[in-house]
Amino acid sequence: MSTRRDFLRTSTLLGFGATVPTFLGRTALAAPAADKPGAKDTVLVVVQLTGGNDGMNTVIPFTNADYYKLRPTIAVAKDQVKKLTDDVGLHPAMSALARLYTDESAVCVVQGVGYPNPSQSHFRSMDVWHAAGTAETLTEGWLGNALKKRGVPAFHLAGGNEASPLALAGAPVRVPSITSLDDFKLKTSGVTGADQNAQKGVITGVADAGAVPMTSQPNLLDFVSRTQTNTYASSEKLASIGKNYTPKVPYPNSALGSKLKLAAQLIDADIGARLFYVSLDGFDTHAGQGGAAGAHANLLAQVSDAISAFYRDLAGRGHKDRLCVMTFSEFGRRAYENGSKGTDHGAAAPMFLVGGNVKAGVTGEHPSLKGLKEGNLVHGTDFRQVYAAVLDKWLGIDAKPIVGEGFKAAEVFAK
Amino acid sequence: MLDPKTAWAPYTPGADTPWDRKKVGHLYRRAGFGATAAELDAGVKDGHARTLDRVLNGAPEAEDFTRTSEFMASERSMPPGAPQQRLSAWWLDRMLKTRHPLREKLTLFWHDHFATSNAKVQNARFMLGQYRLMRSHALGRFAELLVAMGTDPAMLVWLDTITSTKSAPNENYARELMELFALGIGNYTEADIRQAARAFTGYEIKEGKGAFNRRAHDAGEKTVFGKSGTFTGEDIARLCLDHPACPRFIVRKLYKFLVSDTDVPPAELIDPLAEEYRESGFDTGKLVSTVLRSNLFFSPTAYRAKIKSPVEFAVGTVRALEGHAGTLPLAEALEGLGQVLFAPPSVKGWDGGPAWLNAQTLLGRNNLALALTSTEDARFGSRCDPAALLAGHGTKGDEGQVDFLLGLFLQGDVPAAARGKLLDYLKAAKGVKYPAYWSADDVANHRARAVTHLVLTLPEYQLS
Repeated sequence: MSTRRDFLRTSTLLGFGATVPTFLGRTALAAPAADKPGAKDTVLVVVQLTGGNDGMNTVIPFTNADYYKLRPTIAVAKDQVKKLTDDVGLHPAMSALARLYTDESAVCVVQGVGYPNPSQSHFRSMDVWHAAGTAETLTEGWLGNALKKRGVPAFHLAGGNEASPLALAGAPVRVPSITSLDDFKLKTSGVTGADQNAQKGVITGVADAGAVPMTSQPNLLDFVSRTQTNTYASSEKLASIGKNYTPKVPYPNSALGSKLKLAAQLIDADIGARLFYVSLDGFDTHAGQGGAAGAHANLLAQVSDAISAFYRDLAGRGHKDRLCVMTFSEFGRRAYENGSKGTDHGAAAPMFLVGGNVKAGVTGEHPSLKGLKEGNLVHGTDFRQVYAAVLDKWLGIDAKPIVGEGFKAAEVFAK
Repeated sequence: MLDPKTAWAPYTPGADTPWDRKKVGHLYRRAGFGATAAELDAGVKDGHARTLDRVLNGAPEAEDFTRTSEFMASERSMPPGAPQQRLSAWWLDRMLKTRHPLREKLTLFWHDHFATSNAKVQNARFMLGQYRLMRSHALGRFAELLVAMGTDPAMLVWLDTITSTKSAPNENYARELMELFALGIGNYTEADIRQAARAFTGYEIKEGKGAFNRRAHDAGEKTVFGKSGTFTGEDIARLCLDHPACPRFIVRKLYKFLVSDTDVPPAELIDPLAEEYRESGFDTGKLVSTVLRSNLFFSPTAYRAKIKSPVEFAVGTVRALEGHAGTLPLAEALEGLGQVLFAPPSVKGWDGGPAWLNAQTLLGRNNLALALTSTEDARFGSRCDPAALLAGHGTKGDEGQVDFLLGLFLQGDVPAAARGKLLDYLKAAKGVKYPAYWSADDVANHRARAVTHLVLTLPEYQLS
């Protein structure tokens, strides 16, 4: 078992043979035939809630007395919940998302999502979600594999300190990580245009010379050279994107808000960008997570406000029907609270899909609070059913080879 | 693959494995933060035995370094609410100036291992306390470090032990102790975690120190790894140390840190070291010495088999340039490269290896190299001066400059084509129309800075 991560490291080197970013090649922009899913240059934005989001305080079973018994100090009072159905509602910090649900019919809530024999390790469970599999050694991501089938232009919008996710590993071309367009530039000390070009010529020339086709034996130097070539080409291309992006609605001043704003800017830049990966950390609420207000509420507000602004900005540009935002977390949390007024690692939790073409409403049942397994909620929908829908129905990529047999697509899209 | 006996036997130079500049550079990169020109020269001249002793033993710290560093870490200069970057800068200063880089390097290893972030702890005093704990045991006994970590104030906050209660224990520390600090996934059960969590109750922080409050502790019987007893947190740590997976887990992690990011060593290679480690009472210094002195360490399996971490990249560059960088701006720049000291991204630490490099962090490296070599960057002042370095080492002509820089940073181990491109640049840079007010010296300085920056962007320089 201890070598699993080592395999992972090695596979990172094998993940990409070609060197030119997808969005530089025209073929990448070709849409599938008009009658096929994914025909309209659909955009997928995956939002990872890192740390294990407390699903039961996100989509709240406010009529269930057991909920209040299990969580004497952190439960959200019935009258504060933003009701979605007669039985469940959103945490009050998610009022913006609740409005998208009621006013725009742009939110699909999938309840009780998970997988069998769930791991309660952050890192193992995250790998399972990223790889869409439970094999002991997981080396490629579900999105990396999707990119093999259709090389749509993809971006990992990273925060500082954040490595490229396993979900994107295995892509034929490494997906560039970008934190800010301002910093996404190759700078030199050139005093004139010619001097700058001469310096850039050395930097890119050396990298290109080293970026040879993959050999069977992964080699760190090849990896560096290919990453360099890929990066310099991406940076050159993105340098042309205008700095002055004016959103149609204001974005919240938050980490996730900034990332989604950058995604909107890239979508609007007409470089064919169709796949984005962003993360928000901090959901590992073992202690003092709060109820209607507090640490967890602040995180949910950030998610809700940022996604809502993103949706409304893109809707204002006529892109809402192209958009699907999908949230997930590596697991939900323990049904009962601990003595630290927080929750330990759990299992099943809800996912959100947001966009103009999602099947608005709440699907799936809230996991039973009577039928807990070792204190954890039991899933009713396998996350790979949601992936299957996203791949098949949204991106138009055959899901079976990626998620495996037996995962019927969840009904999360309107058509 | 070398057989385990040969692999861990002490390296001695041979006809096909001569002691040379490349090996000195390799040793200094892994056992510290890279070599200066003088260290490379001395290493070659003094031979492998003396150089290894020097690197492993270090030298006593200069008195003014110790005094200044301690002053900067005093409660007055570093109060509990001191900003993150000041902590980070303080450690970078130590890495830049220490005479025992190996100790700081291993402290960094343990920081990555017991990855605790001030983003949650929010107390610079606690973070410094944990740093001191890790530094004092960096080359000492892991057993003592693991036990002490259970009552370390920063850790008590970081993994919520202080808020746990005997009526409803918090599982955070028990889980990560087993998964990340001592055993690795697959070597314990969820039941072990839940039982161990009961043992980690009753721990609190009193007057800035970890303390045990017996009344708040669950003194009942617990069963962990099939053994039952009225265990305390310390008992659980000792049960972990007795677990056969423990020495193997640490040895593998140290192998990755010292030897290779990508090589997956077979059990035959790891087990003898793990056994020795256990028998020595988890003597990390001895383990590190065995690895760094070994044939395997000086073999192609290890050479350039790691991606430099951002800290290694930055500190190594400044050291080799014989400059002084402002450590606050350096700490700030490192954030864009993906490594903030005292603030790892999660309790798993930094993924490291190839994960260090992505499009954004790669550009960050190039641009930090530019900032450090430029005499005009407002943030770093003019305290790294490649032209002065080249002049100080008496280099002459374009070839002399390029060969000195390649020798310093890469021990000359680059493809001829890359060297040719650097020389072409220097030639082309003579024909550039510089501002009319530039003197010949200004032009020479510019060329020196530019070519140094270019050397630092070579793919080989990203490797350790």
